[in-house]
Amino acid sequence: MKSIEIRNCESRFRSKIGKYRVTLTDKCFHCGLCVEICPYGVFERAEGFNFVSMPNSAHCEGPDCIEGPYHCTAKCPVEAIKIEIDPQWKTLGDFRWTPDLIITTWKQAETGEIPQDNLEYKIGASGGGFDNFDFKIDHPNTIPSDEIDKIRTSICLNRRSEGPAIEIPVPWYGAGMSFGSISLSSMLARAASAKAWETFTSTGEGGYPDELIPYSNHVITQIATGLFGVQEETIKRARIIEFKYAQGAKPGLGGHLLGDKNTQAVAKKRETVPWTSLFSPFPFHSVYSVEDHKKHIDWVKTINPEALISVKVSTPSDVDMVAVGSYYAGANIINLDGGYGGTGAAPEIAKKNIAMPIEYAITKVHRFLLDEGVRDEIVLMASGGIRTAYDIAKSIALGADGVIMGTSELVALGCVRCGNCESGRGCPRGIATTDSELEEQIDPSWGAQRIINLYSAWQKQLKLLLYQLGLEDIKELRGRTDLLRSTDEK
Amino acid sequence: MYERYHIETSPAKLSSTQIGKFTIIRHEEECLNCGQCISQCIYDVHKRDSNDSRKMAEPVSNLCKNCFSCIQNCPQQALEMVKNKEFEDLGNTYWTPQFIHTIWNEAEEGKIPVYGAGYRGPFKGSGFDKIWTDMSEIVRPTRDGIHGREYIATSVDLGRKLPWIPDFERLNLPNSYEIQIPMLFDTSPLGLNLKSIILAITRAAHQLGTFAFLNIENYFEELKPYLKSIALRCPLDKIKHIDSIPWREVNFIEVVLPEKYLISELEQAIRNLKNQNETALISLGLTGPCLSEEIFKQVQHARVDVLNFYADNYGKSFEGNLFICDALRKLRHDFVKRNMRDEITIIGKGGIAAAEHVPKSIICGADAVVLDLSLLAAMGCQVCKVCQIENCPAELEKLVPETASQRIINMICAWRDQLLEILSAMGIRDVRRLRGELGRAIFYDEIEKESFEFIFFENSLFK
Repeated sequence: MKSIEIRNCESRFRSKIGKYRVTLTDKCFHCGLCVEICPYGVFERAEGFNFVSMPNSAHCEGPDCIEGPYHCTAKCPVEAIKIEIDPQWKTLGDFRWTPDLIITTWKQAETGEIPQDNLEYKIGASGGGFDNFDFKIDHPNTIPSDEIDKIRTSICLNRRSEGPAIEIPVPWYGAGMSFGSISLSSMLARAASAKAWETFTSTGEGGYPDELIPYSNHVITQIATGLFGVQEETIKRARIIEFKYAQGAKPGLGGHLLGDKNTQAVAKKRETVPWTSLFSPFPFHSVYSVEDHKKHIDWVKTINPEALISVKVSTPSDVDMVAVGSYYAGANIINLDGGYGGTGAAPEIAKKNIAMPIEYAITKVHRFLLDEGVRDEIVLMASGGIRTAYDIAKSIALGADGVIMGTSELVALGCVRCGNCESGRGCPRGIATTDSELEEQIDPSWGAQRIINLYSAWQKQLKLLLYQLGLEDIKELRGRTDLLRSTDEK
Repeated sequence: MYERYHIETSPAKLSSTQIGKFTIIRHEEECLNCGQCISQCIYDVHKRDSNDSRKMAEPVSNLCKNCFSCIQNCPQQALEMVKNKEFEDLGNTYWTPQFIHTIWNEAEEGKIPVYGAGYRGPFKGSGFDKIWTDMSEIVRPTRDGIHGREYIATSVDLGRKLPWIPDFERLNLPNSYEIQIPMLFDTSPLGLNLKSIILAITRAAHQLGTFAFLNIENYFEELKPYLKSIALRCPLDKIKHIDSIPWREVNFIEVVLPEKYLISELEQAIRNLKNQNETALISLGLTGPCLSEEIFKQVQHARVDVLNFYADNYGKSFEGNLFICDALRKLRHDFVKRNMRDEITIIGKGGIAAAEHVPKSIICGADAVVLDLSLLAAMGCQVCKVCQIENCPAELEKLVPETASQRIINMICAWRDQLLEILSAMGIRDVRRLRGELGRAIFYDEIEKESFEFIFFENSLFK
């Protein structure tokens, strides 16, 4: 694999949000001592200026400062420095994506490194599932540089004897997000990062924009119930074709693109009328059995015999049966999408209540496939609420082969999870929008670098984790629930 | 002609409910009035001062949707977003600010709450938040996504059913009434007996084709046109003068059981009621601990049609302090065991604070639920820690009954639509089929044990 360029890639916003707020009160007489002693560059004096500039609060580490807690406040001759928890930090995030997770994901996208500050980057605060367990590592240590290369994180996306073997160097690829739900520049950023990492991204169900053709070796195309933009040539172009039966955030409900986001360009791609609401119904009306499902797969294989078939389903209580049915119908990959997953728009009642969280589904399906004796012929990919490198590792330890990441890629692009993707012009931050003016906020090459960096930070964490667990290959981690423990036991 | 049930919504705004989650603060000493925030905000939070266009006006915080764009692009760091104390102070630990806020929005527009991004809440909680509902990956062709939802029935029958028909010659079926939504109303939430509230709730019930429970002492003349939608409620020991108008005209009478009473006394009361009004359903209000054996006897002997199971506003029932959904499960189980579940209608009241609580209660065994505090919240109630009607921030005393009824109707429309979402995800076309379908729900304790017992076998949960 060619080497991947990690470049520092700053936030596109003028000021960053951090955990602490540093202010200089009126007492400050701009002696500049703080500029000299701060190890993080919170204080600056621009060249030729007598005044200390407005502090870069986001860089401050607060009481965790390596020089000792509140080291600058104590040294300031006139006690002019005030450090407090930024009230804005409290307005950011939620139980699943805590402010710490959002900020550390931004930092990873910026630097490509494992976060070194004291913010919590491994675990959220939802009080269940992934947030309820961690790995049995009692003596965390760092990884010697000569050991890094020995540790492998690649997985194969086809475990059947027939069909092409497609290997990706990291155990994840990008989730389906349609043209219409997100902007073309966000799609391009995702595709370029997938190409750089030799993994995949997915078009979602809104058709295959021509702009993605240069990345076609790394683009999965989706056939969803609405069949928007599904054409023979797009099926021929893709190495992996995904049937979307259901989506975790709105299981059993189908999709709905509101009229405001269905612009001329989107409608053209979807072969529909612009500015009308588009429904992607549930379910596939031509699939009511495993046999029907097989017929669908055969139909795609006739058009593109070399393609791998992925089947995306959500997580009902009989998800194990669905998975095994997909296997017998000929699928190569089964994608379980858990109930707490992301979406461009879904009823709140569905996100919270319908279908089970992914943690349960992975365990259930993995065991059932083992019992059925077919586990090693199908690739189990998990998605829906997987946020961090540690969530990736936990999913694999529970029994998945790999995972599919969506929301965290958008966070890398600057998403704050405000949840306004669906209304009016869409995302005010230019990510999940089709508004030409808002879309301009994202430069695809900047976005690609941010996601490339995030991937790099994740891979470093996985390698470190495998090393700490005494494993050499991510494939050895699969199903190793014995390496997990409840966080209460620590 | 076949008429499809339809709820007519119309926007009904209240100024007292315009409380946003966050407040945007503009620090005037830092602000350069450059107007960068105007171009950043797509929600019109920032505007120039209408009197002096050189200056910025104060940000309109309740339009803010929390995107941070203005804050992160302000060259002076003059803008700040903080949590709105007024919002945080709404309600209590059960009636969370989020529940109240959601009800307000539903009551204002009648629309289902839809947002982007994934679920934000805790993994699981207590009570209703320990249940996930099921979905069906592949369903039969009888329903069709969004367009098929119109054909899903949400009506339920209230009343007794015969286990079999003993005599076809003299067919004497018990009364039953169909309500179009599995939700009944209570006109005295929080024990408030305000005329305007009672009128608003009763009118909404009438318009929606369901029943509203009314304490007999609260009956007044203006309610007369809505008598057919009133469920008259009276404690057993206070039943008298039952030949007056409301007693004779209503279709639903509830006898609330005191802690101690004689069965013969109850039987006598029910006989008298039936003599005066033979078409009304008779319901037993179970407000205290209910000894199951006794209840079964009464259901059989006294020919009760409905059991109404009471819990408090937090969903705690008086039956061993069980949460309402657990209590309903128990009640259902006891009736099923005796092969009597179909002979009675079970409804539950208390702690129904969100749309999802309706299907979850039904899954646990209720035929329908009774809404109380949520109706008040729809009218603008903030569920204060201490309710003082004279200092009510929502000014419930000055309520306009027309607006208030419309807000209730809007909320019910949103709740019914959300019920349809749940049903359609399961592939169920009739809410009656959801009753007691425990197999179509996923219970936290069970699945957590099933999935993770082998990981956490040392964990206290599984000891």
